Amino acid sequence: MSPIETGLVGILLFFVLLFMRMPIAYAMALVGFLGYSVLTSPSAAFRMVSTDLFSTFSNHSLSVIPMFVWMGFLAFHSGMGSRLYHFAYKLLGHFPGGLALATQGTCALFGAVCGSNTATAATIGAISLPEMRKYNYDNSLSTASVAAGGAIGVLIPPSVIFIVYGIATEQSIGRLFLAGIIPGIMVMLLYIMTIYVLASRNPNLGPAGPRASWGERLQALYGGLWEVMLIFALSLGGLFAGWFSPTEAGAVGAAGVLILTLAVGHLKWEGLQKSLTDTTRTTAMIMLLVAGSIIFGRFMAISQIPFELANWAASLDLPSFAVMSIILLIYLVLGFFIDALALILLTIPIFYPVAVETLGYDPLWFGVIIVLVVAMGVITPPVGMNVYIIKGVAPDVPLEQIFKGIWPFLFALIICLAILLAFPGITTFLPALYQY
Amino acid sequence: MKRTMELITQATRSMDRIAGWILMLAVFLIVVNILSRQLFRSSILGTYEYVGYLTAAVIALSVAYCAVQNAHIAVGFIVERFPVKMQSMIDIFTRFISLVFFGLVAWHMARYAWVTALSGELSPTTRLPFYPFIYLTALGLLALCAVILAQLLATLKKVMGK
Repeated sequence: MSPIETGLVGILLFFVLLFMRMPIAYAMALVGFLGYSVLTSPSAAFRMVSTDLFSTFSNHSLSVIPMFVWMGFLAFHSGMGSRLYHFAYKLLGHFPGGLALATQGTCALFGAVCGSNTATAATIGAISLPEMRKYNYDNSLSTASVAAGGAIGVLIPPSVIFIVYGIATEQSIGRLFLAGIIPGIMVMLLYIMTIYVLASRNPNLGPAGPRASWGERLQALYGGLWEVMLIFALSLGGLFAGWFSPTEAGAVGAAGVLILTLAVGHLKWEGLQKSLTDTTRTTAMIMLLVAGSIIFGRFMAISQIPFELANWAASLDLPSFAVMSIILLIYLVLGFFIDALALILLTIPIFYPVAVETLGYDPLWFGVIIVLVVAMGVITPPVGMNVYIIKGVAPDVPLEQIFKGIWPFLFALIICLAILLAFPGITTFLPALYQY
Repeated sequence: MKRTMELITQATRSMDRIAGWILMLAVFLIVVNILSRQLFRSSILGTYEYVGYLTAAVIALSVAYCAVQNAHIAVGFIVERFPVKMQSMIDIFTRFISLVFFGLVAWHMARYAWVTALSGELSPTTRLPFYPFIYLTALGLLALCAVILAQLLATLKKVMGK
């Protein structure tokens, strides 16, 4: 069997194991090992797996992941999301669909301290859904708006997916974070417009709440927003200013949230313990996934598939835009079935050389675009992770009802994607200003 | 069987707790290093290496408890459509091959640690032996195997009992 045939059999085997419910990290590592064994030797494959696992776990660049993950969980367990929601609610609650609008604003603000779309959806869902119920919001609109809002959190820095993409492709994490800011704000604004239009046309979907006085708003501002602004300025401000490395920025952010929330009494001992347990669980899951993808990537590299694919794409008599559209379509379809982070890790060794090295697309732009595309996967059936999380928060709302409400938000994401495809400068403008 | 699973859960949870405190230590090491750099113009030598090794320890000690909580991402929507017995048979198969694979990897990881110790290889900056962290990774993988084995036996018992 030729290396390419072995590679194709490996990909097929991977999908068989994947759909047999084997954890994705295990399947990637196992297939990577088997393929590498066939193309080299079992002893070389064992050496590769041992050294790759340890070098991934002890890689200083990857230490950034637990730091930002802990920062997010500390914010979650100290009730920071709740205070942010209170502020956004006082500001926007009196508009049609105001509570759902406040939810989007909170997702963006919480995204500034939390790097995970699922954690953002879970946090904001737990806070906002009971409020929306109190004001008789339509279940479909309320649950879908929170599930979709998680996508904002993944674009607004810090973002675990950007970190992993940056490390896998050797791109600056700081520049990737900057590249995500404007698209993240665009998604938030498009969601806000969507909700406003839906609730204005049918006020029963989201009746307006009472208007808060400016005094109440200022009080809520003091209660919620300053913490996030302070942590964001300290951690990511330091990163963008070139004072800290990404790992240092994560550590400063985590220590900042810890000290701040302990000092004002928002974090209790139990919350600290839970934040650590949640962080180690998430970190172990991500790092095993990263290690698995590195092992799988080694197999792909010696199978020659990425290089042959890149050569094939270069020889196609199609404009690069058409090839990119095919790649995005593949991401979209795979995103329906595979978790966002796992999908990016799995496909980077295959599609990154084609998109960036052969077609010449900007690596930061490509990162933002694929994150946006896989963000659609987290709100669409059958895998739609955020939808299942919201189902967990609101168990009495049928899944079909949540998915039904997702459509307008999916449409908003598609519009955002189209704008970013047509105007790449929107994504690359901020990183171009960053000199570090 | 239930007792074995409880013991494994307790042991891996304790390892996970230690991992949490090690993470906290890594965070504070970085912060102290930044403060030292800014205030006294002197960095703590080897912070870069220490943080890497501490992170390895965090993952090694938490990877098994992550499996106890079924937190390693899997795609279940196809298997969930099959009859329960068929689901169990598939789980037995995937858990068995996972067990064999990670068992062999744990063994080779321990060998890698042993070879590193024998060769006297040291970390580049602080010149410290780092093989204990490789042994710790092997231990973490061994604990992962224990979890997979317990889950495999539990599924087998379920199938046999039906």
